[in-house]
Amino acid sequence: MSLPEAYQYEIQALNRQVLQTCPSDILQFCADFFNSRLASERAASISIFRDRGTPSPRFSPSPTSNFAMMSSQFSSPFGANANPFGGNTSPMASNVMHRVVEEDENDHLAPGAPLFSGAFGGDASTEAPPTLRAPPTTDSYPAQYNFSRRTSVSAESLKPSADSYDNWTPPFTEKTPEQVERLKHAIEGNFLFSHLDDEQSAQILGALVEKPIPARGIKVISQGDAGDYFYVVERGSFDVYVNPCGFIEPGPDGLGSKVSTIQAGGSFGELALMYNAPRAATIISAEGSCTLWALDRVTFRRILMESTFARRRMYESFLEEVPILSSLTPYERSKISDALETQKFAPGDVIIHEGDPGHSFYLLESGEADAFKGTEKVLSYKKGDFFGELALLNDAPRAASVVASTDVKVATLGKNAFQRLLGPVEGLLRRTRYQGVKTGVEEMDPLQQE
Amino acid sequence: MAATVAETQPATPALSIGMASPHQLHAGSAPSTDSAPAPLPPTRSFKLSDFNRVRTLGTGTFARVCLVRPASATKPLEEEKNPEVYALKILKKTEVIKLKQIDHVRNERAILADVAGHPFITNLLGSFSDNESLYMLLDYVPGGELFSYLRKYRRFDEQVARFYAAEIVLVLEFLHERQGGVAYRDLKPENLLLDQDGHIKLVDFGFAKRLGYKDDRPVETYTLCGTPEYLAPEVIHNKGHTTAVDWWALGILIYEFLTGYPPFWHQNPIEIYKQIVEKPVVFPQEPTISDEAKDIIKSFCTIDRSRRLGNISGGAGRVKAHPFFNGVSWDDILSRRQRGPIIPPLRYPGDAQCFDMYPEEDGTRIPYTADMANRYDRYFEDF
Repeated sequence: MSLPEAYQYEIQALNRQVLQTCPSDILQFCADFFNSRLASERAASISIFRDRGTPSPRFSPSPTSNFAMMSSQFSSPFGANANPFGGNTSPMASNVMHRVVEEDENDHLAPGAPLFSGAFGGDASTEAPPTLRAPPTTDSYPAQYNFSRRTSVSAESLKPSADSYDNWTPPFTEKTPEQVERLKHAIEGNFLFSHLDDEQSAQILGALVEKPIPARGIKVISQGDAGDYFYVVERGSFDVYVNPCGFIEPGPDGLGSKVSTIQAGGSFGELALMYNAPRAATIISAEGSCTLWALDRVTFRRILMESTFARRRMYESFLEEVPILSSLTPYERSKISDALETQKFAPGDVIIHEGDPGHSFYLLESGEADAFKGTEKVLSYKKGDFFGELALLNDAPRAASVVASTDVKVATLGKNAFQRLLGPVEGLLRRTRYQGVKTGVEEMDPLQQE
Repeated sequence: MAATVAETQPATPALSIGMASPHQLHAGSAPSTDSAPAPLPPTRSFKLSDFNRVRTLGTGTFARVCLVRPASATKPLEEEKNPEVYALKILKKTEVIKLKQIDHVRNERAILADVAGHPFITNLLGSFSDNESLYMLLDYVPGGELFSYLRKYRRFDEQVARFYAAEIVLVLEFLHERQGGVAYRDLKPENLLLDQDGHIKLVDFGFAKRLGYKDDRPVETYTLCGTPEYLAPEVIHNKGHTTAVDWWALGILIYEFLTGYPPFWHQNPIEIYKQIVEKPVVFPQEPTISDEAKDIIKSFCTIDRSRRLGNISGGAGRVKAHPFFNGVSWDDILSRRQRGPIIPPLRYPGDAQCFDMYPEEDGTRIPYTADMANRYDRYFEDF
């Protein structure tokens, strides 16, 4: 199989550029390269359209060519202004805005485009209001960017049950191990699920509800309707129809055209897991006896929220117990809770090596671990214990090794992250003598040794 | 007395501004539908018949903002040298209930009362309600949306972007650090108006929330809200979010100022979210963006909140010290010493030509029934 010629041409051009410039940020350089290629290629194709007297394909049917005229009308307000930055008084009029390069200065307003063409025709003002504008010209713009106002979105307000004193447990529907495996596989690639931890995944998988679709031709989702559920296809297949008007119209072709088919293992309706937005397509069963699994938004978001909330509170309460952190304010502890990262270890895994420089500290979230000096076991840790915290003060070598004795989950934070969040440690951490607070890894605050 | 110059205090006596911190009472525990709402700080009382509508200035999913004049005014608006004009935000109770926005509307009203008087925030003059609607009376900010200017000019050069960004930094510093952790949560060019001197006014506090403290710790919040292109990754992933979301959004905003479009966009919102959580911000070759601008955008748009500028130690102070703001005199910005880079073309003080036209009424009206009044009026009665 050979690569397309056009592709090889672009890649070779890119190779030459990379060799010539030796960029330090390769990804940025490649992105810039392709953006620039795209822009010049599209600009060329637009001028072809223009020559044929056809409007630009990307912003049609709106007129695209009256921008320059208005832009020049509007340039006057800038001349009068002093530069608000520093003492630089260079006239802003010349460079304050990027002038639009327009091929045709004599283009006139297309009929019917701006509402305002007559509103101030007889007025003394020579300045056009910002309402008088047209879709921008296309050069160096991304294709198909929608330039209109963007609507805010909002989901139901959610509060952790610990705050509202109701006892919420996620809904649970029994499934066979094979079903769980299939569902897991179906959602694991989805960005809304890929960051979940095991516990959250298990709860989500448990909460999916079976929806048998007994016959062919049943509408599961109607375009334009409110969306509350996400679906995974367990068995059968579903056709996707999109009507460009945004909803189902009456009549035989009201569904619009079929754009794809979703097979077993596929899923649809994920936007509904974020907020209630009108469905973007109609989904219809394409065969008899299909099976779907459904998950509603509030359950999904609540599972995520409750576990995140519980974990944060757990971290905060653990952190309160760490002596060198005891002088932090609750706000500072909360910031640290935000930044803690979870790591997992299997029994026998070494979490900290004796003699290594210390960079991070650890909270034991679940499981058990032991500290060894050489081969001698000096201490055992259980849930809520912490170790390696003196690494936040210095880079002294670890005084002991810590080895997981069961499956272990730790929350960890490096000295760098700590300093980024809270500033220099010296003024923050309590400098009490660490004698008698044996953590096994460091026995004494080294800053107090003098 | 003119309300067109936003920093001018209205002739009417000062409202609840500066009253003994009533928000402390409800800090961190926004009223929810299952408990009695915390009382809203009082404002001066008005009624709808005090005003005549001139025209609509903007519409949202459940709100409409109208330019209004006192009912007593008789002279044509364009002949008034010092017209008394206001922006009246009207929210239909039925829509607020249907869209489950009661908490948000109460937050908006409470926070606007608390922050009134800030030079870069729209000033709440009063609020009231009748059987069908809730009303917030605001200073009229005549320059229209920065969105309109940005789309018209396509993009701003760095001097211009820096000026607006600097004013926004001061607003965020004020909300986050001097107001006990108010997250704004809907930063975008559509929500920034220009006053007659070209300065920013932040409007629409519909998603603003006082995060506050509970049991002596700051409270994160979990309700997804904002605008798709401007949502922070932690909001998309429902990890619980804080004021750090506003710094992320400021990074997106500066990018959009400089290029004319946001870094993450797609026809399909789910694709936007996928990009936000998976893709780094990349810059186009055209226009040329300075290294300082690229750096501040990347520093704001950092997924890891322990690395995000504005959220790391130093807070807004660290933002102000960023090289992108080199040469900016922050005192001059705060005191509005110079006019902005764009002066709105106003023909007369009450002019509304900088606002787009909207259909005046959609006609569809869902009645606010006695049953609804029975269930929900307790959330509105102190509005």
